[in-house]
Amino acid sequence: MNVTEQSGESHIDIPESHQLPGPRPVGEGTFWEGRSGLIMPAILTAFSLYLLIGVLNMDVGNAAFPGPRFFPTILGIAGLLVAVALTIQTIKYPMHPENESGRSWKFHSDYVSLAWAIGGFFAFAVLLPYLGWVLAGSLLFWTMTRAFGSKRPGFDVLVSLMMSSVVYLAFDVGLGLNLPSGLLGGGF
Amino acid sequence: MDILSLLMEGFAGALTPMNLLWVIVGCLLGTAVGVMPGLGSSMAVALLLPMTFALDPTAAFIMFSGVYFGGLFGDSTMAILMNTPGQASAIASTFEGHRMALNGRAPQALATAAIGAFIGGIVSSFIVVFLAPTLAELSTAFGPAEYFALALFAFVATSSVVSDSVFKGLASLIFGLGIATIGIDSVTGIERFTLGAPQLFDGISLVTVTVAILALGEVFYIAARARRDKANLETRSAGRPWLTGTEFKEAAPAWARGTIIGLPFGVIPVGGSEVPTFLAYSTERALDKRRKDPQFGDKGAIRGLAAPEAAGNATTGMAMGALLALGLPVSATAAIMLAAFRQYGIQPGPLLFDRNPELVWALLASFFIAMIVLLFINLPFAQLWAKLLLIPNHYLYSGIALFCGLGIYATSGAVFDLLMLLGIGVVALIMRRYGYPLAPLMIGMVLGPLAETSLRDALLSSVGDFSILVSSPITWSLYAVLAIFIAVSVITAIRGRRKHLTSQLETIDA
Repeated sequence: MNVTEQSGESHIDIPESHQLPGPRPVGEGTFWEGRSGLIMPAILTAFSLYLLIGVLNMDVGNAAFPGPRFFPTILGIAGLLVAVALTIQTIKYPMHPENESGRSWKFHSDYVSLAWAIGGFFAFAVLLPYLGWVLAGSLLFWTMTRAFGSKRPGFDVLVSLMMSSVVYLAFDVGLGLNLPSGLLGGGF
Repeated sequence: MDILSLLMEGFAGALTPMNLLWVIVGCLLGTAVGVMPGLGSSMAVALLLPMTFALDPTAAFIMFSGVYFGGLFGDSTMAILMNTPGQASAIASTFEGHRMALNGRAPQALATAAIGAFIGGIVSSFIVVFLAPTLAELSTAFGPAEYFALALFAFVATSSVVSDSVFKGLASLIFGLGIATIGIDSVTGIERFTLGAPQLFDGISLVTVTVAILALGEVFYIAARARRDKANLETRSAGRPWLTGTEFKEAAPAWARGTIIGLPFGVIPVGGSEVPTFLAYSTERALDKRRKDPQFGDKGAIRGLAAPEAAGNATTGMAMGALLALGLPVSATAAIMLAAFRQYGIQPGPLLFDRNPELVWALLASFFIAMIVLLFINLPFAQLWAKLLLIPNHYLYSGIALFCGLGIYATSGAVFDLLMLLGIGVVALIMRRYGYPLAPLMIGMVLGPLAETSLRDALLSSVGDFSILVSSPITWSLYAVLAIFIAVSVITAIRGRRKHLTSQLETIDA
């Protein structure tokens, strides 16, 4: 029996996922159940340490008292304190997100979709100067349609090419923003 | 009347055919983005921000006001029809508004919302026009210590009010403040936290952070849920989009009360219009209980929708005034507008009225024009806007991702900024996943430099004596209000927790 604590509503029950079909959630029954939120205090700690290490390595010369180190030092220390508070909060009150899909999942978030979305954007960012706007843009658009579970990948290629071409025509040719033409360069 | 003639000049500036076109384009685009489920007016502004750089400043800001107010109208349309508020400020409208829609009164609900938003917006625009120059004059009395107090107020208010946990709000705030310190220190010229990368010397652009937090992170978040949550979208009913005389009389006092509640929140930095909309809603609810025939509940009460709509737009209008006159952004959207001003080399604040009067007055005039345009495109056609939902989700969000990339590449022209956008977007995704509020990050990012430089200026001039921070009557009153504010929120939090515990005990008994 555990009390689920989430968005003000609480009920004592075995979490619903136990009755639902589908794979068992990863981490179920372990310490990590409902505590994956610890990633946020971890990120905050890393960020605060980055600030504090940066402060220590900063070459300030002989600036007068509230110099460039003053404000970031406060932030770094406050960040560490808040991270500790968040860690305690997360350990004390695990969070169980709502699941309305009628089945259970290995993870609450859809990591396949996220891989398509984030990977697609990464590829777009890196390849943009080489492929040019039209091709890189359609690559981004297409991977995003995959991420959102479109069922017609072939047709989507056409939609993607059309979308990024329209954007190119409207913003580069029309409004005069400077977008790279890349592989298809020179032609238009 | 001096102000009136200035405003008339503003209208003359704003009513050129080109500028009129930009208002209408802005209103249409803003409404279109606002109507999309999960996308709110601040996202509309963030997405369209880079696009406006192709325009001249006046045209750009006129378009902005259209986008912004349009987003608000679109938000409430969806809140009513689909129960999907685009952002927190539209949540209060869903309660009674969606009930009205379920009860077959969707068109009347939409009309109530549109008229309420119109009234709130127009009244606040009038007040801004007459108050802003005075406010601007008043703010010349502000020194570094006063500005620091004001920034501190904004930080505490946004990070404690908006989120369920104060620590989550503070964490978000610290990210924002920290990101803002990256780059060359404006006081001493020393580089900070750049790891020697020349791309970071100017710091991380507010536009990149905004688009990452409000648009790309949102797209990632929706992608992570797209195949998990069953979408449940249904539009209902058509019919007369007009209110009968009785309905109008019913709603009128609520519009007025909502507007009055909303106005003061525009100049108090509490992170936008969530607080006033909820306050307006609960006021109407409390008043309703005293009536002989309570309306709240199953069928949906017209007043419970009218008041928050008016309050929301009244706050928004006033917030624009505070931004122009004080240079103080009180909400995430105002923060983006501030970024836009800076992109053009314009610093909002007391001097703006002297230096760029044509711009300010044209912008203020465009508020009125935007309101009227929006009333026209929303009152009769709200049902048509709902048709936008027929665009399949996978194309909609792919298009938004494409626009994120376009906007950032167009402003920076560098792959580095695209990767920065991606990185911050992923952090924003994690923050959304675990219920961290994003508004404090934005406010921290925008007001961080102001807070830091004014704190250091104050301390430098007093040679390290901290008492200078509380040395003037203005700072006293600001800290006094802040103390009251903290006390009130602590008391409500304790009461809420007690209530929460009792309800938990009751469930255990049952």
